[in-house]
Amino acid sequence: MPMFITYGDILCQDSLKELDLFSYKSRLKFGNHLYLEKDYLRASYEFREYLKYEDNDTIRFKFANCFYNIGRYLEAADNFKSIFYNSTIQDESRLAYYKSLFFSGDFNLFRNSSRNEIYLPEKYLSEVNRLYFTSFLMDNSVLPDTANFISAFPDSNKNDIRNFYIQKKFPQYKSPTTAALLSSVIPGLGKIYVGNITDGLTSFLVTGVLTFLAIDNFNHKHSFRGWLFTGLGAFFYAGNIYGSAAAAQIFNAGVKFNFDNNVKLYFEKRNYFLPENNL
Amino acid sequence: MMIKLLGKLILFFFVSLVSVQAQYQLSSQFDYANTLFKTGNYFDAITEYKRLIFFDSTKTFFYRSSFQIGKCYKAGAKFDEAIKYFSISELNASDDFERFDSKIEIVRCNILRGTTSRAHQLLNEMELTYSGNDSKDSINYWRGWAYMFEDDWTSAAASFAKINPNHELKLICNRVEKDKVSVTFATVISYILPGAGQIYTGNFLSGLLSLGWNVLSAYLTINAFNAERIFDGIAILTLIWQRFYRGNIQNAAEFAESKNIDIANSALINLQKQFRGAKP
Amino acid sequence: MIKSIIFCLLLVPTLSKAQTDWVKWDAVEVSYKISNASSKNIITQKQNTGSGIISFLRNIYGFFISELDGDNCPFYPSCSHFFVQAISESGMIKGPLMFADRFIRDLNFFKGKNSYPIHRIGKFYDPVSNYTLNEQMIEIALSGNGGD
Repeated sequence: MPMFITYGDILCQDSLKELDLFSYKSRLKFGNHLYLEKDYLRASYEFREYLKYEDNDTIRFKFANCFYNIGRYLEAADNFKSIFYNSTIQDESRLAYYKSLFFSGDFNLFRNSSRNEIYLPEKYLSEVNRLYFTSFLMDNSVLPDTANFISAFPDSNKNDIRNFYIQKKFPQYKSPTTAALLSSVIPGLGKIYVGNITDGLTSFLVTGVLTFLAIDNFNHKHSFRGWLFTGLGAFFYAGNIYGSAAAAQIFNAGVKFNFDNNVKLYFEKRNYFLPENNL
Repeated sequence: MMIKLLGKLILFFFVSLVSVQAQYQLSSQFDYANTLFKTGNYFDAITEYKRLIFFDSTKTFFYRSSFQIGKCYKAGAKFDEAIKYFSISELNASDDFERFDSKIEIVRCNILRGTTSRAHQLLNEMELTYSGNDSKDSINYWRGWAYMFEDDWTSAAASFAKINPNHELKLICNRVEKDKVSVTFATVISYILPGAGQIYTGNFLSGLLSLGWNVLSAYLTINAFNAERIFDGIAILTLIWQRFYRGNIQNAAEFAESKNIDIANSALINLQKQFRGAKP
Repeated sequence: MIKSIIFCLLLVPTLSKAQTDWVKWDAVEVSYKISNASSKNIITQKQNTGSGIISFLRNIYGFFISELDGDNCPFYPSCSHFFVQAISESGMIKGPLMFADRFIRDLNFFKGKNSYPIHRIGKFYDPVSNYTLNEQMIEIALSGNGGD
């Protein structure tokens, strides 16, 4: 009889502990469920509570991954760092750390950190190396030489990377000074040089017509109208030179925007040549 | 034999105790989540409702929790998610009343989201399914709101009239319709007399200026043609008179449309802030 | 069976749209106001003209002329607003030059070929910031967005 009571009591106590919705075990179960549903912010709250009671590398990694997935990269990096040593997943954590720094957008920070050899993951050295070179395509830093750059990438992609490298090093910009000079010689020519052909022709016509009207009025001794058209002609002539320089700058901004977009799409499509995250 | 039977009874007692305790825990969790909801902590409330759903293996609280999650998302103006959870609650409703409530919430979210055509579609489907007077009144009521959000005050008035010919909202709709100006009329009178459309919509100064410009440019054009200055006449006609005449017609239409939108918005804001009945 | 299929289909968008809760949010009151859909509404197209004598003159011009002669400028901001903004941001030398260039581009009959992004009110988006000769201020807008 006492055996039944004791057994029943133990069963009861264990079951009640399981039912406690806020016990650390329940938090873990619920956190894993939220993580699978991609409800990362809520999952991070549950994992944080769990980690106050038990230390578990996998959960610590998932906790950091929550921040990574919602774009809080620096917090993710900090948390990945806590699994750098004495862990079966330390290489994965180190790679995730570098990924976090890379995607935070602070490429200088990423590059400086990746030169720090004690943090590098042994299993993923080539991945981090590829990210290192990729970062040069994404900001305005001085490009390193081609040899190491191209060789970091798989053979099947080397041509594409070489093209990006060349476009980055020698962008097809138009010179604002050249555009302005051309327009000062022939109104509108600078705009045609930039590719705005119809704008260039309009500039040419407007300044041409105003100049003709000025000369014509002076010839017919209408000095007021002559000076009026001269003034307008000079005004639009100066505006055409200014506008040509501005048009060249807008053209260059467009070239850079398209290049940045193309690079981003290219690497996103290939997951930045990184292994898939299984956790 | 007796001891074994007694032992089984004791075990049964403990198992029942656990079950009751579990239900109590879940019920407390539901109350806790409701408290967060009532105090406006919608994000945290969703967390607790989700926690309840996860641990509620018997799905006792599934409908109510899903419904409440929908209400939380609705309060945060996240209508896509709100509709999702109201749909989930609808699928797990235990009776027609619960199903109806979920559907009405989906309609209300569609109205607030601006997808009123979807709201109408749902209401039409509900009209075929639910035949009770209360249900019909509720359907017509929300149909009226959907029409108001579409700026169709005539149809809205008709919908409210089906509930009660002297319904408060029907009277408001009628007043709005009466206050509005006719865009067609404003445009037509502007063709006949420049500036008239703008004066009709209440923009007196703009109307008078428009009339003045049209009269002046007409005078200058006719004067130029009379003096056989044909080029000058054509220049004034195309560059000045035509511009101000076209501008007058454009303004008449736009002022009329703008005035109507202002009248509609004034009524809607008034309803939002002061109306005591059910709102989307 | 059908219920579970519908339930699963409902969950798919839930999973893909979980981004809603990646930032903690608060209650929001949605206004019942109807938006003014007219893209050529002169009255509601209030543009910031700043302060000073130039904007005062612009307002006089607007009151007596441009608000009465219809919506003629295909650009956003309109040429007169562009003029005021150019002078207030770049001064009395660069400002008029920017305006002269804008005027010539407005006279261009084939301006549509120039790939100006389309502002959400349906006009060519051509902000002052693109013409200050400061590369950092150039805005590459996508059609449907752009500006305020």
